[in-house]
Amino acid sequence: MSDSTRRGFVKNSAAAAAGMTVVGALVAEQADAKAAAKSGPVVAYIRDPRTGEISVMSGEREVKLHDRKIAARIARAAN
Amino acid sequence: MSSHREAPAISRDPVADNTDLYAFVSPDDPGTVTIISNYLPLEVPYGGPNFFEFGPDVRYRINIDNDGDGDANIIYEFAFETQVANPNSFLYNSGPILTIDSANWNRKQFYSVTRISRGRRQVLGSGLACPPCNIGPLSTPDYDMLASAAVHSLPGGRTVFAGQRAEGFYVDLGSIFDLGNLRPFQNLHATFGLGSLSAAAGVNGTDNFSVHSIALKVPKSDLTRHGTTPTNASSQDSVVGVWASASRQAATVREPWSEYVHEAGEWMQVSRLGNPLFNEVLVGMGFKDRWNALPPSADQRFAGGVQHPELATLLPVLYPGVFPNLAKLTAPRADLVAILLTGIPAGIVPGFQNFTGSTLADMLRLNMAIPPSSSANILGLIGGDPAGFPNGRRVFDDVVTVELRAIAGVTYPLVNKSYTPDPAANLVTDGLTPASVNVPFLNSFPYLGIPQSGYHTAPLGTV
Repeated sequence: MSDSTRRGFVKNSAAAAAGMTVVGALVAEQADAKAAAKSGPVVAYIRDPRTGEISVMSGEREVKLHDRKIAARIARAAN
Repeated sequence: MSSHREAPAISRDPVADNTDLYAFVSPDDPGTVTIISNYLPLEVPYGGPNFFEFGPDVRYRINIDNDGDGDANIIYEFAFETQVANPNSFLYNSGPILTIDSANWNRKQFYSVTRISRGRRQVLGSGLACPPCNIGPLSTPDYDMLASAAVHSLPGGRTVFAGQRAEGFYVDLGSIFDLGNLRPFQNLHATFGLGSLSAAAGVNGTDNFSVHSIALKVPKSDLTRHGTTPTNASSQDSVVGVWASASRQAATVREPWSEYVHEAGEWMQVSRLGNPLFNEVLVGMGFKDRWNALPPSADQRFAGGVQHPELATLLPVLYPGVFPNLAKLTAPRADLVAILLTGIPAGIVPGFQNFTGSTLADMLRLNMAIPPSSSANILGLIGGDPAGFPNGRRVFDDVVTVELRAIAGVTYPLVNKSYTPDPAANLVTDGLTPASVNVPFLNSFPYLGIPQSGYHTAPLGTV
């Protein structure tokens, strides 16, 4: 295998692997979205973005997540 | 009012507003206890076309504490749904409603009852029909029959009704809210230099209005800690604490250009009621909304308003020279704490107790081993009738007069025998009795009277 061919193989293999990862992520996201859709609308409430605490409400359920990055990102989007 | 519009936030949410709570041994069925929780204050009977109804987005609860800690051991939860037969019609009814399932009735309500205890949810009934509101002789010609059809039997010897009833709480709102100007005593009022008044009869400010009631009759054993029927009036196990509440879900989201409202999250308490007038009179304006959100077990923080009630300092000012002993009474009101927050321990009133322990909690306490009175006194315990308020509360009890007199010092000798109440303290009243209620109470379940029809109700006049 020539060097150029080898580099091309490596490059193409890496792209394929990355593509598979992206496809996998998309499939997972779609599956998550389908599963989430079954639960109806979801409301997220961030009382204080600095704490990273996110109240996620759906139906009569409420769970608390702790994620400073997501909380900050949502807060930035709201401002 | 007892608890009508008693706090700023809940006054903007009448569907969830607890107005009165009653709990008593059923006089015609003394093996049972009847609990009535009212909502929706001051319903005008002709208030259509969207007549009053329970909130399908509200969870209504009757809570029972049977171990004295101010938290619920047993909960009866009520959830309502509304069914519209013809959404293209603007009418509540398109013809006479002769039966509770009438096709002429366009907007019906149904509900479920769930008993919650020790983490277990037991659905006692579902699809239970409410009666319509009382519209008039053409729409609801036999209202009593319609209401009777809405009395449902539940498993375990329980009975339930949910729907419109005549307001039974009598109180002279106009005079009390006009700077405590009790009409029978207004000749003694300071009037702020605005001229003298002559004594006059009380005016029942709630007369002819309606409320929405949830009435539940259960065997006494349904409420006790060990599932037994209490027979010993001196036993603490015979006493339960009762309060009612209403909750809404944590989040509400409105969508643009749409009637769609999305609600999500856990149920958050927005209203509660134990003893009449507690939040109304004894909790400061800035704390009433918080009180409504908390359970009775958190009431320690409100004890100051009971120990030193603002009204007790106002009475001597509003009625100069009438309450000289009350004016000098500055000690914490242990009598009011016992009546409202712990129950009255044994040894204070001979032969009586409704003590639940040292936890300070506003609950309507009922000693279920005390039988119904054969000759009831509307002043309850201070009238020598241990079957009445503050041993629970019957529909006809004069809780306004009882609490006015208690705050005026009548009950302070229970904890300090050296104190002599002012003579006026034994007389003070807003001048009303059950005879001031236009619609008579019933002798049987659900005990509150048939609501006035819209057609037969005249607009408010003047005094």
